[in-house]
Amino acid sequence: MFKIFLNTVFRKLYLQKGYSLINILGLATGITCSLLILLWVEYELSFDSFHQNKSQIYSVYENQTYADGETFTVYATPAPLAANLKENIDEIDKATRISRTWGKLMLSTEGSTFVENSGLCVDPDFFKIFSFPVLLGNPNLVMPDERSIVITEKMSKRYFGEDNPLGKTISINTNLKYHVSAVLKDSPKNSSLYFDFLLPFNFIKENWGFNLNNWDSHAFLTIIQIKNNTYIPSLETKIKPYIKQNLKQSNTDLALQKFSDYHLHSINGNKLSPILYIRIFTLVAFIILLIACFNYMNLSTARSERRAREVAVRKVVGAHKRGLFALFMAESIFISLLAFGLAIVLVELLLPFFKELTQRDLTLKLSNPTLLLSFAAIVLFTGFVSGSYPALYLSSFKPIRILKGKLYRDSHLFRKLMVIIQFIISVALIICSSVIYRQLDFLQDKDVGYQKDNIIYIEMLDNFQKHYPKLKENLIKIPGVLKVTAANQMPINFTNSTSDISWKGKSKDAKDVLFQLSFVDYDFIETFEMEVLQGRAFSSKQGADSLKLVINEAAASVMNMKYTIGEKVKIWDYEGEVIGIVKNFNFNSLQVGVKPLLMLMSSDEFKYIAIKTSGDEQPIINKIRETWSKSFPKIPFSYRLLKDDFSYLYKAESRMSLVFISFTLIAIIISALGLFGLSSYIIEQKYKEMGIRKVFGAEFQNLLRSFLYRFLKWILLANLIAWPIAYFLMQWWLAGFAYRIHISWMEFLGAGLLSILIAFITVFYQSYKISTIAPIKAIRYE
Amino acid sequence: MIKTNNLMKKFRTNEVETTALNNVNLEINEGEFVAIMGPSGCGKSTLLNILGLLDNPSSGELFFYNERVDGYNERQRTNLRKENIGFVFQSFNLIEELTIYENVELPLLYMKVSSSERKRRVNETLDRMKIMHRAKHFPQQLSGGQQQRAAIARAVITNPKLILADEPTGNLDSTNGEEVMNLLTQLNETGTTIVMVTHSPSDADRSHRIIQLFDGHIVTENMRQKL
Ligand SMILES: Nc1ncnc2c1ncn2[C@@H]1O[C@H](COP(=O)(O)OP(=O)(O)O)[C@@H](O)[C@H]1O
Ligand SMILES: [Mg+2]
Repeated sequence: MFKIFLNTVFRKLYLQKGYSLINILGLATGITCSLLILLWVEYELSFDSFHQNKSQIYSVYENQTYADGETFTVYATPAPLAANLKENIDEIDKATRISRTWGKLMLSTEGSTFVENSGLCVDPDFFKIFSFPVLLGNPNLVMPDERSIVITEKMSKRYFGEDNPLGKTISINTNLKYHVSAVLKDSPKNSSLYFDFLLPFNFIKENWGFNLNNWDSHAFLTIIQIKNNTYIPSLETKIKPYIKQNLKQSNTDLALQKFSDYHLHSINGNKLSPILYIRIFTLVAFIILLIACFNYMNLSTARSERRAREVAVRKVVGAHKRGLFALFMAESIFISLLAFGLAIVLVELLLPFFKELTQRDLTLKLSNPTLLLSFAAIVLFTGFVSGSYPALYLSSFKPIRILKGKLYRDSHLFRKLMVIIQFIISVALIICSSVIYRQLDFLQDKDVGYQKDNIIYIEMLDNFQKHYPKLKENLIKIPGVLKVTAANQMPINFTNSTSDISWKGKSKDAKDVLFQLSFVDYDFIETFEMEVLQGRAFSSKQGADSLKLVINEAAASVMNMKYTIGEKVKIWDYEGEVIGIVKNFNFNSLQVGVKPLLMLMSSDEFKYIAIKTSGDEQPIINKIRETWSKSFPKIPFSYRLLKDDFSYLYKAESRMSLVFISFTLIAIIISALGLFGLSSYIIEQKYKEMGIRKVFGAEFQNLLRSFLYRFLKWILLANLIAWPIAYFLMQWWLAGFAYRIHISWMEFLGAGLLSILIAFITVFYQSYKISTIAPIKAIRYE
Repeated sequence: MIKTNNLMKKFRTNEVETTALNNVNLEINEGEFVAIMGPSGCGKSTLLNILGLLDNPSSGELFFYNERVDGYNERQRTNLRKENIGFVFQSFNLIEELTIYENVELPLLYMKVSSSERKRRVNETLDRMKIMHRAKHFPQQLSGGQQQRAAIARAVITNPKLILADEPTGNLDSTNGEEVMNLLTQLNETGTTIVMVTHSPSDADRSHRIIQLFDGHIVTENMRQKL
């Protein structure tokens, strides 16, 4: 019985090859895309969810309020906070500070030396709060003392090969000695906390001399684990003024964020946070699935009309209504499942590329079947809906009416509606992807106010600063090296800020203003070709320029300085003198505007050497490498290109836009396929009519015109609906950027023309086909 | 007017090859009224379709006014058809979505005739075919005889030199059939060449000449004595 069923189904599929292909492929493509997207979404949502206590883990973050009413939201908290909270607040069970190791460290074992930058400094509670599995060592006492280092499996292999690493010594920067107390499994890729090794928090003090008792220095992540059944709002009110309680003049409130939200939710209320993109993509996934399902239903109901005759005959020979219903249903569901199977294969095939595109380690895990099951449900539903129309409709109508050749028109409305919806979605997607693409392109190319081309920079190891002057001297001699300078941070992302600034005329009770603070070397302004509006840049010819300041326009306007050269500005306890004002340049992501900036000279703070070359970097870089290794044979040379980093700033967005545009394309292709299939079907129904018209003299262009007219009406309607939707969506998105493009009417026109083109190609193809065959074939066509 | 040389037509469906026409040689002169007769399946419709350029012969030659036309492309065929030939089918082949008026007007639309001229000619023709009162109706609403008269109106509206009619009375009762035959005879009398396929001996009696087909061959050509 089942075999007979299969045979008929496959024969039908074969007899209607064109439709079957379009129909099954369309649905399969749709499922494939939405599955891929949802795999990615699921992965992003899975971040940090592997911690067994995840519902009890919270990050403490700060809201710092400044004069202009602006709040500055950061995860950086004072070092004494964690222990204090744990001791004084009942609901808090455990607490740890977390800090990345600052910059590069030199780690050595007996045999070899490594340069590392992926270490974390943590408190012992870290291991109780988080679930990073312990492979070797005591799981209850992972970091027993101040001289313990915990390393990952990967690092253990790299450092000690197959030897047992427990108890082995690792020295850091030659003077600090640690012994390995435990080996952890490598941190999973979907962990926000990524590390190769873990050090006791006191390392910050031991290595950098940082004062860990200061309530006024905001630098570390504080993570707490709360007791079960804690009422979060009341805990938040307790925590909120905690810093002010310990430091009277503070402008800082504390707040809590669930640690599992760390990856996707931004704390500063920026609406363009990753979770927004996750939501957009989830929506896109469903839209694509919807389009594909619409298509499927559309085509199969269209096809079922062709089968009216079959139904009639079956009925005449005595088939029962219920039997027919079951047959149609089974057929439709079977075909949709076929598409589902194909989609699974396609996902497996495409996954490697998609992993590359998203930079995520995705797998189609059958061990986690919720996703697949929900998809199977959607597909079943699609099959069911597609089947129910013909099943209910055809099995209940009177055979004699069909045998007489009466067609049914009411289903056309339903189908037209679906095609129109598809086109609305496609047109809106075309417009959105164009706007998104242009905006990101604009950010990439925007004049940031300094030169980022042909600049390479090198991160210095600790205590390297003393070697810098000599190195600079050698570097500048290399042909092709134009400028050499150093700074504590690169303009790509300034993060060093303070509000402890005062100046003449600053009112006593004024609220604090946050200033970015940059420590730079001579030639910094020249290297990046920043424009000096007033005064001068730092210059070695002018004698000692220490305690001289160059400020940006934004800072000048905050301090109400119009003609400011020579003004005194107090930073902490030092008094500086303004010698120049530079034009505003962007030192953060372009999503944010320009903030006030003070630049001063202080070689102790230098962390980066920046080198401006004359172009074609590779040979010059080789020279630089040679120079480097002659002076510092033990320290590996590594560098970065500023331009690459700049691209990286927008990489998340670029990647998203790439994914978005790819899927838009696919959505459009599916829609086009749908229109193609459907119009082919409609045209096929008109074959006889077209044949008759041909007999009486209709030529290609007459046929083309009559078809175009039918389809263009729908397309235009779809455009009129899609345009305002796309417009408002994109206005809203663009409003999140400090620098933005404007939506162009060309985009609407382009999307409109594209949709017309798709319709035109279909209709052209079909009209041409009819116009070339002998009319008698068209008349006879059944 | 029409001349054929060794006309062959073969159909091929799923490995079965049917020879519908085999070495057909005939000549039809201007002003003639020719009937084609023969058992069903012997190739009458096939022959008529090929003469009307609705289908292509597999081999052989076809001349129209001494011009060889079997090699024409679709565009040339369409042009030749719309200027010279009118068609009448057994199953009428009216377009269901169009009114009788629009159906009759159709060939003129493809000939770039001005709308006032179209209106004049459609009305005149409908009047001549005695279906003026049905102009606004759709084909399904008409009787078979009326539909066929509408189809004849459509065939003659361009004043073709040749009318090809495939069993024009096949779907009609005798009264309606008679009426259709009267119309065709009248047309022939005013100079239109007519080639008609028919099963009915009485219809064939109206013609000048009967061509008998059997299994794709012409078996006899009877010149009928004009009374
Ligand atoms: N499109 C076609 N495909 C295959 N065979 C055809 C086709 N048209 C006609 N035939 C075959 O050619 C032969 C002649 O058909 P036709 O000219 O319609 O006969 P008649 O009009 O004399 O009844 C028949 O055997 C018929 O089956
Ligand atoms: Mg026939």
